[in-house]
Amino acid sequence: MSSKLSGLLSATFAEPAYDHLVELVHQRDATAHRRLTSVRMSAHDAKGREVLALEVDPAREIFDLGAALGARSEPRVMVLFDARYDAAIFPYRPHHYAYLHARGAADAPLYYAVNATLGGVPDRIGATNINNIETYVFRPRAFAERYSVMLGNVSRFATAQAQVIAYYGTERVGHQVEVPPKAHAETPLAADLEGVRLSRVETKAPFRLASYVVGRRAESRQLVLFDHLFTYAK
Amino acid sequence: MSDVADPPLDTLLLCYCTNLTVGELREACRARRWPPAGKEQTGKLCTGCLGDLRYCLERFGHHARD
Repeated sequence: MSSKLSGLLSATFAEPAYDHLVELVHQRDATAHRRLTSVRMSAHDAKGREVLALEVDPAREIFDLGAALGARSEPRVMVLFDARYDAAIFPYRPHHYAYLHARGAADAPLYYAVNATLGGVPDRIGATNINNIETYVFRPRAFAERYSVMLGNVSRFATAQAQVIAYYGTERVGHQVEVPPKAHAETPLAADLEGVRLSRVETKAPFRLASYVVGRRAESRQLVLFDHLFTYAK
Repeated sequence: MSDVADPPLDTLLLCYCTNLTVGELREACRARRWPPAGKEQTGKLCTGCLGDLRYCLERFGHHARD
C-alpha cells in the first residue's frame, strides 16, 4: 500500500421509504477483498444543514443507507461519502455503486454509479475533460411521467449559479438554479413542449456539482429513473 | 460554518485530485509560491473544488488569475 491515500467525495440523494444500498467497492474477488481506508457519511437538508453524520465501517462491502437514514422528516437529503483509499483498490474510475428501490413498489429496482463529485479522476485514467458541463439524452419512448434534475453543491465555501437547459426538438427551455454550499435543489422539467417530447437536458455550472437525472411516476412520484449525466466534451 | 481563516480548517482536503489541503494552500500563498510543485493541476481535473479554490485564493491574498 502506498503511503499517500487518495480522496473521493461522492454524492447522492435520498428520499424516505426507499431501500437504498451502497456498494463501497465493487469487486468480485472474495478471497482478496480490498477495503477503503475510511468513509465518513453525512446527510444535508435542502438548505445545506447537516442533519446526520457517521463513520461508516470500511470493512463493510454494502452500506445500508436507507437504514442509516431511518424515518426522516426531510423530503430529500443529499448524502455525501467522504472516502480515503489506496489507489490500488480501484482498477477502474473510482466510484461507489448503489441499489435503489421504493419499498413495496412493483417497478424494477434501479442501479446507479454514485456521483464522484470531488476526486475520482486521477491522471492515471486520463479523465481530464471538462466535466462541469454535462448532458443526458432521454430514450425516444417515454417511460417516466415526471422528469427533473437534482443538483447539489458539495463545496464548503462557494455558492454555485447553475443552468439547467431542457431541449425539445429545436426548442429549449432554461432554468437558473442557485445552490449554496451543501445545499441542493430539484428542478422539474416539462415532459413535452407543445407536443414535442423532452429529448435532452444539459447542466452548466462554474464547477462540478452533484447531478442526477430523475424520472418519476406521476401519481406515486416514485423514482423510475435516477442516473448521472455525462460529460459534454469527449 | 468555520471561517477559512481559522487554522483548524488547515487539514481540510480542498482538492481531492491533487491532495491539496487548505493549510498547504494558505502556506503557498503566504510564501508567494502558488501553485507548489506537483499541485499545478489543482482545480483542473474534476473541477469540483474550483469554487472553493478561488474563494480560498482570494481570502489568502492571491490575486493573480490564470
